[in-house]
Amino acid sequence: MKNGKWKMENTLKLFLMLCVLSGGVFAQTTEPKPSAPKTVKIPAVKETKLKNGLTIVVVERKNVPLVTVQMLIKAGAQGESKKQAGLANITASLLSKGTKTRSATQIAEEMEFLGADLTSAVNWNSSVVSVNVMSDKIEKAFGVIADTILNPAFSQSEIDLYKSQSLDGLKYNLTQPGFLTNYVASVFSYKEHPANGTPESIESLVRADIVKFHGDKFLPENSVLVFVGDITLKSATDLADKYLAGWESGKKNEIARRIGVLTRIGGTDNSQIPIVNRILVVDLPNSGQASVSFAKHLTNGRVACSPVNRILSCQPNASYFPALALNSLLGGGYSSRLNQEIRIKRGLTYGAGSSFSWRDQNSNFGTRTQTKNESAAEVAELVVAELKKLSEGDIPEAELNPRRLVLTGGFGRNLETNQGLAAALADLYSFRLPADTLNTFMTSVMAVNDKQIKQFAAENFNSGDIIIVGDYSVFKDDLAKRFPNMDIEVIKADELDITKENLRKAN
Amino acid sequence: MRNFSKITLLLIFAFCLSLSAIGQVKVTPMNIKQRTLGNGMKIVSLQDNSSPTVAIHVWYDVGGKNDPAGRSGFAHMFEHMMFKSTLNMPGEKLDRLTEDVGGFNNASTAEDWTNYYEVVPSNHLEVLLWAEADRMQNLNVDEANFASERLVVQEEYRQGVLAQPYGRLFQYLDSLSFQKHPYKRGVIGNLEELAAATTKDANEFYKTFYRPDNAVLIVVGDFDQKQFDAWTDKYFAAIKKPDSKIPRVTEIEPDWTAERRYMQTAPIVPFPAAAITYLAPPSKSADIPALRLAELILSGGESSRLYREMVRNQKIAQDASFNADIRVDKGLLYFFGIASESGTSEQLEKAFLAELKKIQDAPVSAQELEKAKNQLITQALRQRENNDGKAIVIERAIAYQGDPLAVNSDIQKLQAVTPADIQRVMKQYFTAKNRVVIYYNQAKEEESK
Repeated sequence: MKNGKWKMENTLKLFLMLCVLSGGVFAQTTEPKPSAPKTVKIPAVKETKLKNGLTIVVVERKNVPLVTVQMLIKAGAQGESKKQAGLANITASLLSKGTKTRSATQIAEEMEFLGADLTSAVNWNSSVVSVNVMSDKIEKAFGVIADTILNPAFSQSEIDLYKSQSLDGLKYNLTQPGFLTNYVASVFSYKEHPANGTPESIESLVRADIVKFHGDKFLPENSVLVFVGDITLKSATDLADKYLAGWESGKKNEIARRIGVLTRIGGTDNSQIPIVNRILVVDLPNSGQASVSFAKHLTNGRVACSPVNRILSCQPNASYFPALALNSLLGGGYSSRLNQEIRIKRGLTYGAGSSFSWRDQNSNFGTRTQTKNESAAEVAELVVAELKKLSEGDIPEAELNPRRLVLTGGFGRNLETNQGLAAALADLYSFRLPADTLNTFMTSVMAVNDKQIKQFAAENFNSGDIIIVGDYSVFKDDLAKRFPNMDIEVIKADELDITKENLRKAN
Repeated sequence: MRNFSKITLLLIFAFCLSLSAIGQVKVTPMNIKQRTLGNGMKIVSLQDNSSPTVAIHVWYDVGGKNDPAGRSGFAHMFEHMMFKSTLNMPGEKLDRLTEDVGGFNNASTAEDWTNYYEVVPSNHLEVLLWAEADRMQNLNVDEANFASERLVVQEEYRQGVLAQPYGRLFQYLDSLSFQKHPYKRGVIGNLEELAAATTKDANEFYKTFYRPDNAVLIVVGDFDQKQFDAWTDKYFAAIKKPDSKIPRVTEIEPDWTAERRYMQTAPIVPFPAAAITYLAPPSKSADIPALRLAELILSGGESSRLYREMVRNQKIAQDASFNADIRVDKGLLYFFGIASESGTSEQLEKAFLAELKKIQDAPVSAQELEKAKNQLITQALRQRENNDGKAIVIERAIAYQGDPLAVNSDIQKLQAVTPADIQRVMKQYFTAKNRVVIYYNQAKEEESK
């Protein structure tokens, strides 16, 4: 590389000389300082209830003549068994595929004629139907949404079509290393199941399952209707009253979700236990890249709840904000440690990051990155080293504060759009958190310190799994060399069946 | 503004009238300010103090089509280098100035342009203007950064092209369709030509295209106009405009004269696919609004023609779309389909051509057209929800129509489109000789090694 260096210096000199000759280099050399910051205004949230128990949440905002409506049902993939994986998803997806009086095509036609886009999404503990529409067309659109929630037909032909589309979609996704990693981790590491189902579970779902899931879970007292945008509390309530007053509540008591005791940081220090317990490889021959992940199920949940006057009252769990800050430091955003080490310093990936998926009483943590098959083992080693550094190394304030600001800045930006704000509210309500949690988010993040993060890492990042999906023949030797004392479990992608105990298809 | 002239009132009346056809909601015009500095750099700004953030975009008139010969993917790879060190900033300083204060930055390279953008709390605007001015004139391309960023771009290629089942097919759309125009190389390029690039190429490219008279600064958000103008004078006006001419792409894609057909394969293709491309008119053509509406009528949502026919009725496709990929020079109009478990490439082609014939033979209904217009208005409103969204809309108007103010007339142009206009463009551009058909299937075992 001597030659390369010589070339660089000369090119640089020549370049500078050209600038001087052309009269360039008038650059300001001192960086101007920012002026005083302004505060981000958190919009006012209004709340009311219909007689049938449906909660209505409204944020009035008139910057554009649009309204976002989100109907949150507090039931998601958590409410289905592993054998029925995908049931919540198929139920929510089929709502718009026909009602007692409208066909699937009519619903699509009516909504799209209004310029409204109707979507549904299923999370672990909630299902959300949402629509974005011009404010002068909200009534027509709302009438259709209400009909789909109250009167879905779940016709056999739509169930069959949806199942075949889901199976096609899964077959497609299961050729992608990143998707396969999460798919396997859901069972292998998190002891759950994929919310979109498995080929085996989707195949087995029948109409009665769907009708029952809808009947049991889609109840007004189990739902929250969020409006954000160019609409008032009064007109929103009038709309809900007109179209949803006939929605009958179930048994009067609140749908019980198992929510137990308060969880706190300050448990056992597990830092002496090795970070990696198992290595799983899903062999995908000819894969264009390998996906490398660390996955760990944690007992730290999103909320801490206790009954107050027989009603469950929840607040963010004490470890929630330290966990968010930890993630921001490790793998949230471009300059986080994983991306620094794997992409910026070494050029081994286009991007590396990490995230938590929150449940009430626990969470799933995962890192993610894709690299050429040749460097899969090296990347796995780098990921483990970064996890280790969290509990063992220093977290200087100069590094931590920017990572707090990444969180608060992203939070503020997200609230700028109707959709972003509505989703943030739906998320809070799905965890039984009060709407004013929005107002305390920024101060809670700013209060996290380095000790809390280190403690969180020491308690939680041990006995996790490394999952690699890629062309095993390419990285087999290197992986054995870099993780010499570990058993490596290998499953061929086309033999994978995550509904089986050993994750393999029966012969 | 207290005394409206009669003409103004009349114009407003006409404007409202044209809007009433599609409902009461209207898209508020943007009060955009424009000026050009002595060195040729254009400054476009839109003050909006409703949220304490500001979006800053620097748009350069250089893209994948300007890749040097034998250096496919270079413009994009160079975009990555713009985050490395300058005379006044160490590498990744842009991240310190944005991410570290609660903002974000990114950049993208298209066939026709490259943009660099940030959204930051508005009290950081001046610092970002300084930084953008600095990297416009003082970039320092060093060997180590260049080598490491090349690896990153190669991983980007693997992730987007090789590790995606249909990644290669998207490459083929350009490489097999265009015969002469540099669009045929594709923005991401290929691993070999990325490997051949040198720092010398980078310095040459920088000097050639990164200059004030090839750039537009677009700022939307919370600032004071007078203060902003003073800052742009302070940081950008002194940047010297080189005497050399900016080289432009002169190749013109010749009219296609006969249908071409290709059968491609790749190692992992879960379902057969097919694409049919047609050469599109350039972005400034008056036919674009009609093509945009045709795009929605054919594939905007589950009530669209392709979805209803191919996904729901015939059940031969899991994905069937029509896309107007409009570019500054002639781009592509293309059908793209992925078969369902029971479908084939042949069936997809046949169904696409049948739908094409329908839209050519009979005008679309008034109802269908109104639906497409409502979809576009809603889309336009959603794009205008925040500062960055508005900056993007303005930037695209500059890129494709050469005029930021086009954002205020685009919607009226779409509203003026008639069923006859759509029928005419569908007949004009979608001819058999102006067509490339690509089938894409799983390679046989021995081919994939």
